[in-house]
Amino acid sequence: MATNYEQLAKKMVARAKKSGASEAEVFIQVGREASCRVRDGDIESLTEATSKGCGVRVIVNKRLGFAWTTDFMPSNVDAFVDRAVALAQASAPNPLNGFAEGKDFGKLPDVGSLSDSAIVKLAPDWKIKAALEMEKVCRSYDPRIKTVDSVEAGENVTEVYLASSAGMTGGYQTTSAYLYTAAVAAEGEQLQTSYWYDVKRFLNELPSPESVAREGARRAIRLLGAKKVKSQKVPVIFDPTMAAGFISSIAGAANGDLVFKKSSFLASKLGEKIAPDTVTIVDDGLLPKGLGTAPFDGEGVPRRRNAVVQNGVLRSFLYDAFTARKAKARSTGNASRGYKSMPSIGTTNLYLEAGKRDPEEMIREVPNGFYVTAMLGSGANLVTGEYSRGANGVWIENGQLSRPVQEVTVAGKLIDMLQGIDAVGSDLRFLGSTGAPTIRFKELTVSGE
Amino acid sequence: MGTKVPKVSPTTLLPITLAERLLGAAMERGADFAEVFAERSESTGVVLEEDKVKSAQSGLAQGVGIRVISGMKVGYAYSDDLDDEALFRAARTAAFIAHGGGSEQSFKVSRTPLPTFYSLKQHLSAVDLSQKRDLVVRANRAARAFGKRVRQVSATYADTTKRILVANTRGHLAEDVQDLSRMSVSVVVEGKNAERRSGFYGGGGRVPFSHFDVFTPELVATEAARQACAGLGAADAQAGEQTVVLAPGWSGILLHEAVGHGLEADFIRKGTSLFAGKVGQKVASDLVTVIDDGTVANSRGSLNVDDEGNPGQFKVLIERGVLKGYMYDDFNAGLMKTKSTGSGRRENFTCLPMPRMTNTYLAPGEDTHDDIIREVDGGIYCANFGGGQVDITNGNFVFEVSEAYEIKKGKLGRPLKGVTLIGVGPEALKNVSRVGNDPMPDPGLGTCGKDGQSVPVGVGLPTVRIDKMTVGGTRVGAAR
Repeated sequence: MATNYEQLAKKMVARAKKSGASEAEVFIQVGREASCRVRDGDIESLTEATSKGCGVRVIVNKRLGFAWTTDFMPSNVDAFVDRAVALAQASAPNPLNGFAEGKDFGKLPDVGSLSDSAIVKLAPDWKIKAALEMEKVCRSYDPRIKTVDSVEAGENVTEVYLASSAGMTGGYQTTSAYLYTAAVAAEGEQLQTSYWYDVKRFLNELPSPESVAREGARRAIRLLGAKKVKSQKVPVIFDPTMAAGFISSIAGAANGDLVFKKSSFLASKLGEKIAPDTVTIVDDGLLPKGLGTAPFDGEGVPRRRNAVVQNGVLRSFLYDAFTARKAKARSTGNASRGYKSMPSIGTTNLYLEAGKRDPEEMIREVPNGFYVTAMLGSGANLVTGEYSRGANGVWIENGQLSRPVQEVTVAGKLIDMLQGIDAVGSDLRFLGSTGAPTIRFKELTVSGE
Repeated sequence: MGTKVPKVSPTTLLPITLAERLLGAAMERGADFAEVFAERSESTGVVLEEDKVKSAQSGLAQGVGIRVISGMKVGYAYSDDLDDEALFRAARTAAFIAHGGGSEQSFKVSRTPLPTFYSLKQHLSAVDLSQKRDLVVRANRAARAFGKRVRQVSATYADTTKRILVANTRGHLAEDVQDLSRMSVSVVVEGKNAERRSGFYGGGGRVPFSHFDVFTPELVATEAARQACAGLGAADAQAGEQTVVLAPGWSGILLHEAVGHGLEADFIRKGTSLFAGKVGQKVASDLVTVIDDGTVANSRGSLNVDDEGNPGQFKVLIERGVLKGYMYDDFNAGLMKTKSTGSGRRENFTCLPMPRMTNTYLAPGEDTHDDIIREVDGGIYCANFGGGQVDITNGNFVFEVSEAYEIKKGKLGRPLKGVTLIGVGPEALKNVSRVGNDPMPDPGLGTCGKDGQSVPVGVGLPTVRIDKMTVGGTRVGAAR
């Protein structure tokens, strides 16, 4: 089966060349998914499906065309490729147009296995049992857990194939399995919800359904009784999940395309010290067993490890082949894509390296501050570097977590926030493909009453 | 001058007899209900960046989703292979949810007449690509002409012509063609001291392509550039509770987040919305009447038929502050012993339908825009919004205000930056103290995300004053 799609991709590249494309690249994704949601001790929904799709990029007279389809009928494939060729005529010629080429490719790294046979062969009732257990544990965690918003388990198997006129062909298979619990807690008139989940490439790396359910419930209970606080400037701690979101914003600003267009607040800061020595942000496309790990990126360029910020110094922006050519840089293997879209710059396994500080001690040192455990809104303006998000969490009084807080925002300038990181915890943890430890900002504005 | 692009071959979505046989297979194990949803979506897009038409794109997604309901359980399977073998496999996979010992039954479906809230003589997929390209080229030219401060312009045009067919074991058959277009422009400008600001504007809907003769690329581009320039030199916003005035139109996104989601029936049935069990109760100020209307002509959120085969409807959700009802899809309506409100929507055939909003707006009040501002001694005027998000369980919502001005002694003052609004839905609604009588143009920009599914929506709000709204900013305690 596997070689069929690789062969099909090569055939489509050949067809594009024959129809007048000077360069062509075909990306095929084939997958199956299965998931189960439960409620009140029974199945709520069970979904199973297979799907596939193909995207073809062509260059004709320096003009770019792109088409995608889910229709793989052999009789339609040539017409589909020709459509991409015809589309190119509507775009403008650009001498910089072109896909990844010889110097970008090189030897593919050995990333180990990305596919777990235990997930490929997973029994259909695994997800049902796991979800039912999560719901049971969640509901019995505390009498104040009133219901669940959703409890779900599932697995995915995905194959990716790529072929290009520059001679690149390849393919790989990945697996993943996930557990998700969103608990609802009630006390008096107030309802609070919190979710927790984990997703891994390998089944034996996934935490137990029980631990995921308990964490979801614990986080919802912790918010009961949450109130606004007065507006003030105080030290603010992000738990690892919130810290990972913050790191994603920073990596978003290191997007080579935004940098080239001077639409990132980091554009002029390469080589500058933008954070304390304790801050090292890495995008590692080769991380063993990482959810974002693959031998090559969305245009066939080998994945690699890129330190975006090394000991506080901004070291690297992230590039795909086209942007790298514009910016006279090299692709960093950060083209990310699905079949419905052209490649764009994205991260792989992005994380803030663990520091040395005990996260509990980081809280103990704060006489008056805010421990943030959930946020709302996208919040970061990468052009201006302004940051403002809705936040929930727990107030810190005399070094202790005291009362829950909601309906406030935390705000600052991203560059000041980076500079103001005064403690990095030792508790690095990944949630999906992004990871961070607990971090503490010396001072942010909390807006409330 | 027309660009010739080969047409995607026109095929029937799904033969009716095949749909009927699939329903039979889906009911094999004795379920209560089965449904076949077939979709074929053709999309086109043109992207302009850095003064060049970067690419022209097109896509085709087609497939069939089969849903089987047995009691409170739902089985779902889909296939993008349209051959009989793959489709029957999907039907039997979905049927697995039922445990009864059924046997293959036969089902007949027939068309019911549907209303028409949009119907394009020429589908967008049939419009010449060069005309779509011209829109982004003109937009770029107009944005660049706005002034020397303009540094980056990107313009996008995208459309979809989506054909759907829904057939179910109640004998219901519905088909619709749903065209949708949107053009948008984003502009980055540079002011003094290399300060950069961005602006964004756009719109469209279930409109004929000639809509862009009126809603021109020049209008869109100029507005995006104006918004970007308006933010140059803006002052930091004061943090804390303040009176805010929302500009009419797109600010309806706030209503969508603050109350709309909490009135969707799935959250109500599960008891996870703070509006659950409150029908007949006062949940907002007397001035607040909230409507969700799937029947607005050519609007982005309108539906001749929803994704379960029910016609779009006009629904009063809150009337003079009193909660009147919720938005239902078939499944939740069935479990809650009521009827669908034509609110069952899904992003595409790979997704289960859910109760969703269509076009959600606040009914106009009696005050004029100018009077509403004149009465405010100190506060913030929110002219344009970025994105928003809501936690429907605790009701917390946030909004990024992309264009804001100080209000001082009844007059608009200097621009403010970094303004975020945060509140709890029902509390904010109780603090609505003025509602304008002005029109509330919805340019047709909204896309709503829920549980990973995106659907187009319309929003609207006349000028509205809300007291005691928490404003997120960076400035604390400084003199005003």
